[in-house]
Amino acid sequence: MSLFNTDKDFNVISNMIPSGANIIDVGCGDGSLLDYLAKKKNINGRGLEIDQDKIRECLAKGIAVMQGDADIDLIDYPNKSFDYSILTYTLQATKKPKEVLEELVRISDKAIVSFPNFGYWKIRLNLLLNGTMPVSDDLSYSWYETPNLHFCTIFDFINLCEESNIKIEKKCNLKNHSIQKYAKKNWFDNFLLESGMFLISKK
Amino acid sequence: MSKNTIVELASSKNPLVLDCGKSIGPIKTAYTTYGKLNDSKSNAILICHALTGDQYVASEHPITKKDGWWSLLIGPGKSIDTDKYFIICPNVIGGCMGSTGPNEKNPKTGREYGLDFPVITIADMVKAQKLLIDSLGIKKLFSVIGGSMGGMLVLEWLSKFPSLVFSAIPIATTTSHSAQNIALNELARQAIMADPEWKSGNYNEHNTKPTKGLSVARMAAHISYLSEQSLHEKFGRNLQDKTKIEFSFDADFQVESYLRHQGFKFVDRFDANSYLYITRAMDYFDLKTDNNGSLLEAFKDTKAHILCASFTSDWLYPTSENKVITKTFNALGLNVSFVEIDTDNGHDSFLLNEPEFFHTVEGFLDATYKKL
Repeated sequence: MSLFNTDKDFNVISNMIPSGANIIDVGCGDGSLLDYLAKKKNINGRGLEIDQDKIRECLAKGIAVMQGDADIDLIDYPNKSFDYSILTYTLQATKKPKEVLEELVRISDKAIVSFPNFGYWKIRLNLLLNGTMPVSDDLSYSWYETPNLHFCTIFDFINLCEESNIKIEKKCNLKNHSIQKYAKKNWFDNFLLESGMFLISKK
Repeated sequence: MSKNTIVELASSKNPLVLDCGKSIGPIKTAYTTYGKLNDSKSNAILICHALTGDQYVASEHPITKKDGWWSLLIGPGKSIDTDKYFIICPNVIGGCMGSTGPNEKNPKTGREYGLDFPVITIADMVKAQKLLIDSLGIKKLFSVIGGSMGGMLVLEWLSKFPSLVFSAIPIATTTSHSAQNIALNELARQAIMADPEWKSGNYNEHNTKPTKGLSVARMAAHISYLSEQSLHEKFGRNLQDKTKIEFSFDADFQVESYLRHQGFKFVDRFDANSYLYITRAMDYFDLKTDNNGSLLEAFKDTKAHILCASFTSDWLYPTSENKVITKTFNALGLNVSFVEIDTDNGHDSFLLNEPEFFHTVEGFLDATYKKL
């Protein structure tokens, strides 16, 4: 997906991570983010990816990657295997987002999670005016063929974290690339941000 | 181009002590090499062959005259590039292509070992390989690579000689045989021993060979190397050179004819007693039990970069078995990758033309070599 691949976005994640951290990128794609973080922050990275072609690209970059599925294979990692886990634009494609989030904060101290925000005003407007499921450049699938099973809004995500005993530590604004301490639900974030990104941990 | 070399290792004074408690020495190891060992001796890759493989990994087989069993993967400019790496492939002890095994002469009696040959293990094979690596002056192998039984040898290397292995690729393998694996091997062994020409293992002294038993063993094993899908696609219920069934026990079906051919050509290049010994070694292999019931214990000292690979249609060493291995490496926080190659070719896939698999291996080795 094209929502998230700019150096600026990578940089926001990089700013949340200490040098030399042990990191797993769940749904790591071709390993670009891990590669970026390895070069910038000297991290010790691991990837989990389902697509064989992308795994090959990871390996060619020297990135250790496991072929697997976030819904199934996170269970194989012992508690606190990593300092950080990263899940970028994958949550909505998992079968069980709640379990996946719980696994992330189990296998790592902290998790960075980003997802498309369906509370974004353009999506609301699209549904209101057209009466059809939103399709945009960034969410380019029709409803009947989308791999994205569980869309949510920023509010939904926050509610789920509360339900699941997950603490939200920081929120990122991917529009101006700022990182702020998370305090409480913010109506404007939910309305104005195309995507949400949060740093979470186990309560 | 490689030549076959036979080297004498260990000695009667300083023999190889086997897991069964017996000792043998000196032992012979037949091996081939490809490419050039660099000045720092850091580019060596050890290739471990499978049950019926041998040292002719990337050069013509002297008996079958066929290309080496991994010549699609290994060679100049290929995925395992012999212009870059120095490849060593030894015939395991217990084998029949020049390394010490049951069809070699017992120095104590002057007669062929036959069943007097001690029962060996995967660990014994690796100990012998270690002697070879020492004799070549190599302090650390850049990589150890093998599929099936070769994968077991790779795992044993990681477990027993962790400081000697920089990277490893265990392919389509397991940390211990399942009951089904043992059952299939037992079927093969019983087929050999039921052949009256086997003569309690002393067939060479009687100038005969248990060719029927060995070829049935091979036929049974060969089925386990293929998938239902590939058998179906290759043969279906097609008849062999005929238009209708003949109400006989000739090879009416193509699949029968194919299997008979596989069994028939196998006996020319393989020794029946070797088959017994090597399958036994595979059945005894059990890294968990050998390490106080813990695979974590088995691999606790390795720091190697590891790529594990399995094949979707492999039911002999299925993905689930390979995942036990990756799970252990993961739990140890090792630099491990895992890929499951999507193919219909069954367990045999690792020996066939699987470009996806080749590219995966190539990318891993290239990137890992830069980390040396």
